[in-house]
Amino acid sequence: MFEARLTQGKIFKQLIEALKDLVQDANIDCSEDELSIQAMDSSHVSLVQVNLQAGGFDHFRCDRTISLGFNSTNMSKILKCAGNDDVITLKAEDTADALTLMFESPGQDRIADFELKLMDIDAEPLGIPDTEYQCTIRMPSGEFQRIIRDLQVLGDTCVISCTKEGVRFSVSGDLGTGNVLLRNNAAEKEEDQVIIEMEEPVELTFALRYLNFFTKATSLGGSVILSMSPEVPVVVEYPIEEFGHIKYYLAPKIDDDA
Amino acid sequence: MDLINNQILSSSGKHELSADEQSLRDGQCVKRLRGGGYDDDQELYDEEAFMDDGMEEPEEYDVENTDGAAADNADTAINFDDLSAAQLKRWARPPVPQEVYDIANNDLNLQWLDIDLIGGDPLPYNPNSNKKKVVGATSGEVPIIRVYGCTDAGNSIVAFIHGYTPYGYFALPENFELKYDSDAEKNRILGKIRDVINDRLVSAKSARSKGFENATLVHGVQYIEDHKSIMGYNTSHTKFLKVFVSMPNLVPTLKRIMEEGISLPGITPIAGTNNQNMWQDGGANGSSYQPFECNVVFVLRFMIDEEICGAGWLSLKKGTYEFKKQKTTNCQLEVNVSYDDIVPRKPEGDWNKIAPLRILSLDIECQGRKGHFPEAEKDPVIQIANTLTVYGESKPTVQNVFTLKGCLPIVGAQVIASDVEEDMLLKWRVFLQACDPDIITGYNVQNFDIPYILDRAETLCKDKRIKSKMSQFKKWGRIKGADAKMRETTFQSAAYGKRNNMETTIDGRVIFDMLPYMQRNHKLSSYSLNSVCAEFLGQQKEDVHHSIISDLQNGTDADRHRLASYCLKDAQLPQRLMDKLSVLVNYIEMARVTGVPVSFLIARGQQIKVFSMILRKCRTEKLLVPTLSKRGGQGDGYEGATVLDPIKNYYEDPIATLDFASLYPSIMQAYNLCYSTIVSAQDANKLDPSLYKKSDNGHIFVHSHVKKGILPTILSELLAARKRAKKDMKNAPTEFEKAVQNGRQLALKVSANSVYGFTGAGVGQLPCLPIASSVTSYGRFLLEKTKEFVETTYTVANGYEHDAQVVYGDTDSVMVKFGFKTVKETFPLAIEAAEKASKIFPDPILLEFEKVYKPFLLMNKKRYAGLMYTNTDKFDYMDTKGLETVRRDNCALVREVIQISLDTILIKQDVEGAINYVKCQIADLLQNKMDISRLVITKSLNKGAEYALGLGGKKEDYKVKQAHVELAARMKKRDAGSAPQLGDRVPYVIITGAKGAANFEKAEDPIYVLENNLPIDCKWYLTNQLSKPLTRIFEPIIGDVDKNLLKGDHTRKIFIPTPTARKGSLMMFAKKKDSCIGCKASIDPGTGNLCKYCIPREAEIYLEKLSNLREAELRYAKLWSEAQRVHGNVHSEIMCTGDGCACLFYRRKKVQADMRLAQEAIDKFGY
Repeated sequence: MFEARLTQGKIFKQLIEALKDLVQDANIDCSEDELSIQAMDSSHVSLVQVNLQAGGFDHFRCDRTISLGFNSTNMSKILKCAGNDDVITLKAEDTADALTLMFESPGQDRIADFELKLMDIDAEPLGIPDTEYQCTIRMPSGEFQRIIRDLQVLGDTCVISCTKEGVRFSVSGDLGTGNVLLRNNAAEKEEDQVIIEMEEPVELTFALRYLNFFTKATSLGGSVILSMSPEVPVVVEYPIEEFGHIKYYLAPKIDDDA
Repeated sequence: MDLINNQILSSSGKHELSADEQSLRDGQCVKRLRGGGYDDDQELYDEEAFMDDGMEEPEEYDVENTDGAAADNADTAINFDDLSAAQLKRWARPPVPQEVYDIANNDLNLQWLDIDLIGGDPLPYNPNSNKKKVVGATSGEVPIIRVYGCTDAGNSIVAFIHGYTPYGYFALPENFELKYDSDAEKNRILGKIRDVINDRLVSAKSARSKGFENATLVHGVQYIEDHKSIMGYNTSHTKFLKVFVSMPNLVPTLKRIMEEGISLPGITPIAGTNNQNMWQDGGANGSSYQPFECNVVFVLRFMIDEEICGAGWLSLKKGTYEFKKQKTTNCQLEVNVSYDDIVPRKPEGDWNKIAPLRILSLDIECQGRKGHFPEAEKDPVIQIANTLTVYGESKPTVQNVFTLKGCLPIVGAQVIASDVEEDMLLKWRVFLQACDPDIITGYNVQNFDIPYILDRAETLCKDKRIKSKMSQFKKWGRIKGADAKMRETTFQSAAYGKRNNMETTIDGRVIFDMLPYMQRNHKLSSYSLNSVCAEFLGQQKEDVHHSIISDLQNGTDADRHRLASYCLKDAQLPQRLMDKLSVLVNYIEMARVTGVPVSFLIARGQQIKVFSMILRKCRTEKLLVPTLSKRGGQGDGYEGATVLDPIKNYYEDPIATLDFASLYPSIMQAYNLCYSTIVSAQDANKLDPSLYKKSDNGHIFVHSHVKKGILPTILSELLAARKRAKKDMKNAPTEFEKAVQNGRQLALKVSANSVYGFTGAGVGQLPCLPIASSVTSYGRFLLEKTKEFVETTYTVANGYEHDAQVVYGDTDSVMVKFGFKTVKETFPLAIEAAEKASKIFPDPILLEFEKVYKPFLLMNKKRYAGLMYTNTDKFDYMDTKGLETVRRDNCALVREVIQISLDTILIKQDVEGAINYVKCQIADLLQNKMDISRLVITKSLNKGAEYALGLGGKKEDYKVKQAHVELAARMKKRDAGSAPQLGDRVPYVIITGAKGAANFEKAEDPIYVLENNLPIDCKWYLTNQLSKPLTRIFEPIIGDVDKNLLKGDHTRKIFIPTPTARKGSLMMFAKKKDSCIGCKASIDPGTGNLCKYCIPREAEIYLEKLSNLREAELRYAKLWSEAQRVHGNVHSEIMCTGDGCACLFYRRKKVQADMRLAQEAIDKFGY
């Protein structure tokens, strides 16, 4: 038996929205102390990893570890039926072929439940091992979203270079070139801060198409953390307040990559 | 007063001129013309004349030095130890029987195959010992026709045909005549006319080049009053001048002069007609004379006038020919003969036979560099394999392989090794000349092998030492001292599409490439030799991948042996294909029926065949064909055939099909549609309405009893001949004879059907849209009429049990539901209906009952399927039209699923079973259990792809990115050698990509997909490939296909493969996490492979995984032994790269991958 009740139902809604452009089908892995999703996008360039700690839920019960395979488009369709303030409860039997989603309005005066048919997804679980990164950049998630959106106007790939000066996002395309430089900024509100921690300068190139997919998670939190090291994938992490995170990994582009 | 002119007239077209004392020099300077010889009006003729017809024939006018004696010496100068005299004898043709040389008592019979034309000096005497007079012109340059052939005994022969003079007809302007009182006066006037035209021609030629001053270019002019133009029932063109010129290439210039306008003496308006003004208008230029039959290729003109058919037999009667005193060719026999002494044999009775022609099939191997297509400038030829077959013998006469460096012996073939490349090439040429083939075949020899050898020789000749050795290498033809010549051509034809070709001319030998033949005549998904052979011979060859050829060559004798056996097989297979498909016989018969040389059939389109037939018929009917100036691609089309709206349904009751037999040819006969019977609207007013009939679209043709048209006559003769051929085929005593007759009846059928196309071709020799549009208009009328007849006759009101209903009709067939439940009841009614309906139509239009479909699935226009019955007991087979089973731009999965669904629905009549089958296939697809070869789509790289591949071309030609083209460009970046070339068919599968990624980004090479374990985009296959055809089939049966078939529980189990790491992919960094083998739940590292819940089931899980492995191993073993069987090869590795091969290459690769995964799972248990 698996059961999880989430007062802030919109977090789950936003999570699925943040996934669905990147991943078609994925497993929700439930264990005694967390709920996690990890999947590669269909072209195997990026990987998304979601972690929600059991403690973040109002109620969390998982008798044995199970995998719930779902189709993100269909899941999203059902979640559209939930209001933003609704409490969402997920339920599944140990050998179930369906996931029950229950939506309760804040006043408890409307209770809806839906059943999503599960998929049997046979895929190997993959993960990126934790490593130390040369640079970590924390910035407002809205700012990041804007930069990516703006750069996409000009080209397909963007160079992120992190130096003492700050972090520079640059793009060049048929129209012309573009650069956005962010400097350290210790603003009052934590969410507005730009904090760059750097050991060595790093410069990497990425496909904007994927970075744009990642920014779909913007609504999940005010800040985003980019972690980079030479020749390894960048991590774009959106922390979800004391609850968990959604992390995206993207492999850097290598020159003359056909 | 002109003597020559008089004499021309004296012998009704055959013009004998008095002998000149000039002696014939051997080794004369000869100008060689190919085909016809119009070099002048290129822009008028060649650019457009054959646009639609295909091959343009720029008339070469090479001057070459034919020094026979010198060539002979050079030939013998090279000696090789391993090519002994005995060896050469084994290769050679049978010796000439002694009695053949007795010209006084021996008739010479030969079957000719190739024909060409040279310019040269006239023969100063008549080779016919009984005649004194020399035929044709006696001075200046004259055309000499060379006919190459083979005698009964298998000896090669070339006949030099002398004395045939080119000419053109020109119509006098309307209401003009040449007025004369006596023949003498006529001749005097014609002589003057000759002088005027000659002067104009001389000055026109002199303006361009030197050497024409004072030449006699026009040999004579005749006044023709008994011929008419073919165009129209009332033609204004009834008086003609026939102008003879010295060389064929003068005809276009002559035509231009006559068209532009010329004042000719003695041509005056007919008294009493009102055209004095026109006479004045002509002014200084004079009047324009419309050309007739000026666009007929010279050799064809000769064949038509002498009634010689293509590839037919010619007889040279004793005493009428002579053997040449000094041979200038490599043929065994070489004769001179006057054109009027040749006796052509009609291909009937004994003359239907085919001479023991020698066919050489060859294949070369080159040592390419890795990643590059072989280039003659860099890569050596390392092997040449040959198979020589004599027509009529079942086994090859000679099989050999010329190799560079040593090679172990090959069973059944001779290995001739050389140490250096030039020796190998030279030995091969000695072989070529010794075996003296009539026909050279192979697979893509025309565009690859032959040009490659020639280019390679060119490259080798850059070394001076080799150059002197190789100086004679290119002499491949039958004419001594003449090089094989290459040129690039573009072939364009409505029927065959556009292709770039290399054309090589080897004098006297016909190059018959099997690849273009297959491309023209068979629709296949792959034209690789391998898949073509699998399709038609049920035979596979071992494919040696080009990337390892180099290694094999550099290896041991045994390695080269392997390469040589492969190469030899490649030489044998085209030959076998040729036999199996009766290609040679069919082409020879087509040449005989249509009266054009075999080489025209290979190199040109459809039009020339019909044109030749029309010209031949017109000659006997005293009609002349106008030479129309080409107007370029005119856009005014006409309405085509009609299709009756289908009543879509799944019919369980029998549906009878009534077909019109040869509809279009019968219409042309029935309604007498022809150039010569058409009446213009204003002329029709003057005619008695009972003499003509107006077609629905307003064109008027006279009835056949008034004047029978040329086209109807040709057609009725063709169809009558076809009936005879079919009868002969039944009675044929031998298989060879049967094949000949079958080829004949096919040729007749194809020819009859192409007549309609000829009249409709916008850019053609003689387009006539009124005819073509009337044909289709009558076709529509007949179809509607049949429908009406059937639906009004077979009704309950008329005493029949049911009301008949026409459910569908297309062009020449209607499908009728008579209402009976069984096939047996339907048959008699359908036969009766066909007979009755035929009666209401004029002869020879015949409605035939052919078949009954039961059950019948009618999906849309031109899309249906049904079980076909031609007898009442048992169905013949399942007939499908327009379905994905036959279309090749889909993957095999679609074809199979559609085929099996239809089988289940129609044959087993088990709709439920079909639905289950489809669901099962969809589930397999989503779970990645599908054999990748079933998902492969192939598309050919056509011209537009040049730009994308960086081979030049214009950006405008490649506007929309195409999946296969982009893939080819990507593959080229990876490995230029294995990447598909222009013209190849590119196989690809669709893999998953980012959201919104276009198709062209998702296409990938199947082998690359297998090697890297890339995930297939199953959903794409489901929605873009399967869904539409499945919907079409199942919609008439089960309604909501999308809901019932394409979605549901069977789509909920999927498999996502883990790709192998490669550059740029995240897999380079990702680690597989430990998970429970039993339930996939993630587990902490180092705690075994099962989660705590699954540990109790350990044994069970292990056994399950073990059985998976066993099953994969078993499958692999089966596929492997199957592949070994296919390749006939048990001891060595199978070197096959798949494309279209029955050895299931992709499936083997897939099972290998499955096996690896299963093994990994087992390994985790650590037992």
